[in-house]
Amino acid sequence: MNMAEILTKGAAGKRFLLLGNEAIARGAIEAGLELAATYPGTPSSEIGDSLFRAVKHGNYFFEYCTNEKVAMEVAGAAAVANARSLVIMKHVGLNVASDAFMTLNYIGVRAGLVIVSADDPGCWSSQNEQDNRLYAMLGDTTMLEPADPQEAKDMTIAAFELSEKLEQPVLLRVTTRVSHTRSGVELGSIRPPRNNPNFERDPFRFVTVPTVARKRHPILVEKVKKATEISEKSEWNRIIGKGNIGILTSGVSFNYVMEAIDSLQLKAAIFKVGMTYPLPKKQIQKFLASKDKVIVIEELKPYLENHARAFAQEKGIMTPILGKSQGYFSEIGEFTPRTVIEGISKALGKEIPTSYAEIDNKFSESVSEAPPRPPILCAGCPHRATFYEVATATGRKGVYPTDIGCYTLAIQPPLEMADLLLCMGSSIGTSCGLTAVLDKPIVGAIGDSTFFHSGIPGLVNAVYNQHPVKIIVVDNQTTAMTGHQPHPGTGMTGMGVQGAQISIEAVAKGVGVEYVKVINPLKVKESIRAIREAVAYDGPAVIVSRSPCALVEGARKRRANEPIIPYEVDPQTCQGCRVCTDKLGCAAAIWTGEHAAIDADLCTGCGVCFQICPFKAIREVVTNERV
Amino acid sequence: MKEFNIMFTGVGGTGVLTAARILASAALTEGQNVRMGEIHGMAQRGGAVNCTIRIGENVHGPIIPTGKADLLLSVEPVEALRNVNRIMPSGTIIVGEYQITPTGVLLGRYEYPTDEVILQDLAKFAKVITFDAATLAQESGGILTMNTVLIGAVIGLNLLPIKEETVISAIKEILPNRYHAMNIDALKKGKNAQKKTITS
Repeated sequence: MNMAEILTKGAAGKRFLLLGNEAIARGAIEAGLELAATYPGTPSSEIGDSLFRAVKHGNYFFEYCTNEKVAMEVAGAAAVANARSLVIMKHVGLNVASDAFMTLNYIGVRAGLVIVSADDPGCWSSQNEQDNRLYAMLGDTTMLEPADPQEAKDMTIAAFELSEKLEQPVLLRVTTRVSHTRSGVELGSIRPPRNNPNFERDPFRFVTVPTVARKRHPILVEKVKKATEISEKSEWNRIIGKGNIGILTSGVSFNYVMEAIDSLQLKAAIFKVGMTYPLPKKQIQKFLASKDKVIVIEELKPYLENHARAFAQEKGIMTPILGKSQGYFSEIGEFTPRTVIEGISKALGKEIPTSYAEIDNKFSESVSEAPPRPPILCAGCPHRATFYEVATATGRKGVYPTDIGCYTLAIQPPLEMADLLLCMGSSIGTSCGLTAVLDKPIVGAIGDSTFFHSGIPGLVNAVYNQHPVKIIVVDNQTTAMTGHQPHPGTGMTGMGVQGAQISIEAVAKGVGVEYVKVINPLKVKESIRAIREAVAYDGPAVIVSRSPCALVEGARKRRANEPIIPYEVDPQTCQGCRVCTDKLGCAAAIWTGEHAAIDADLCTGCGVCFQICPFKAIREVVTNERV
Repeated sequence: MKEFNIMFTGVGGTGVLTAARILASAALTEGQNVRMGEIHGMAQRGGAVNCTIRIGENVHGPIIPTGKADLLLSVEPVEALRNVNRIMPSGTIIVGEYQITPTGVLLGRYEYPTDEVILQDLAKFAKVITFDAATLAQESGGILTMNTVLIGAVIGLNLLPIKEETVISAIKEILPNRYHAMNIDALKKGKNAQKKTITS
């Protein structure tokens, strides 16, 4: 069975090795999903991608939206119209969607609406590690937090049910180590979708003019009270084990706690909170009052900890609450079994069972020998060519705001072409700000998917406020970093239908940019000339640097049995000048002694190094054609 | 089984994730409790990657604690070094000899340590077994089968708590048909390979 079949046809009771994200997709299908909307972002992407791959076997509508705010609006409206809906995003995506999110809580929904926020403690693939549990407080949104893939599936179903019971959206908050853990997941039965969409007009609920909003706020507060009652009795909030020492935990940290108490041979009662907003206040108070001390173990913000303190204060409970405020645990980065073992040991004044210090000493010596290996642009990546050309055309005398995508990796040497980054779409706004105060070329880079996501308002701003920004849209015709999802520029929809392709250059011209040019970055000289011209142009300019993602193109060629002809270096002609490595630094470049060489397994045959070699020492391999 | 931990390390794009999935899937088939940890997204692009496969009733989360891995499998020497704090003193480190040079080394900003330094450093933590997995992979049909060669090596050394035939079934289940023969060949080559053992 392939994954699409497991998700849509896998029989109840069967166990499969599922990624947490795949388990969420299956959970939604089991719950009778009718519509799902997303904008991809690690660590959430595989939820949408699984639904995309399974869409032809399923009975739901799926779409990749232009951004998370639109996705929230699409799913929110569908749920108002009585269709069970899912909206999926990474943690920072909820910032983008937060405007829609906040008011959705005021109007509520008719059918279940589950909002997945995949947080990224440790910033594995993100620009920050914000704790989105605080959004549940901010929005008064009921929240569930699974600890592993099985719970991720089961809680997705529970979230739909809760949402319908309360007529409110429910937040399913996961983290990287839940989303990206695989484990055996037992499937449940699939409830067929209700297929009874219906928009019942109720403008004095759904149209949030101030009079309506004022009326809806107290209703929301009442809903939180009702949700609190549910939380007090919820099976997701449960105590495991017995002892005078209590541990209050949730999400992935629960796993580390279970492993830690085993290592420490500790007798403790663990309060695992699965419904983390609203919290089961009375249950927590009872737990606190019955223990000698309670350790709170959670990643990032002291969310449970601060709540526990407030709950204790209300009842005059004096049980010591040990956590981040005393420094036993950090609010930075993700936890590991080790940090939890160390934190518990410190909090209880116990000795740590493993001699970590000894391992650390040996390790710090050894690991200092290991050269760093940061993520880099792939061999043959067209972005590498574009940044080489921008650097050459501007003599590196400009400032280079960048954006979110693979091309952010141009921060790495030798390109080092990334100067400022905030969030999705920020490169154009930041370019505007820099042109307003600096007298030098400002050349911003933004990806194709990111341009559609939130670049366009920045571009309108540049035209309207007459900022002479130079924007390079690095268009590799896919959402590459998150796993090659389609976007408006590709025209492929989430239903797997080829729809209208939206032209980036037409959008740029449409909003009033007069200098718009399309280049092929794999043609080096022409591209440098075009970028120079754009930089010299007196006004905002857009260059669309278009060439397909090397990974997608490689896969296409292999499928079509098209040859990939790699390049090689003639060692007789190579003078060892290092231009190919020091200026371009392709991942396929290797060295043998004093001469450059090319890894034929990695080379995609893009020909950029061939074009920049000052000694014409690089040539196509003619004998060793690789398919 | 209470707990058996495998750390699989390598470089983004070399198939570490797929190989780890084969092992995790095989363990699940044998009825074991399994957790597999993986990293996606930006961390995947040509950078250092590691996957964990954890088997046994005591296992809850995906992360292997410091000093708790029974096996450290690395397709690349420096990547073994980068993760060697996970191995337990009674564990085994199995490392392919083929070096993948990081860009920082090509640019002259860092040095790649000599084989001798790497092996000595690794041996301070546990027994090291090394062999030319890359050549065997090339003979089997391509450098991407190097992971399967490593899995074969573990089977050959009788260190894997999963049966060979279950691993082969997992290969057939997870990989597309056209890659079955070459990966099964790679597994056999790894199993039968001559290996060097280094202890401190």
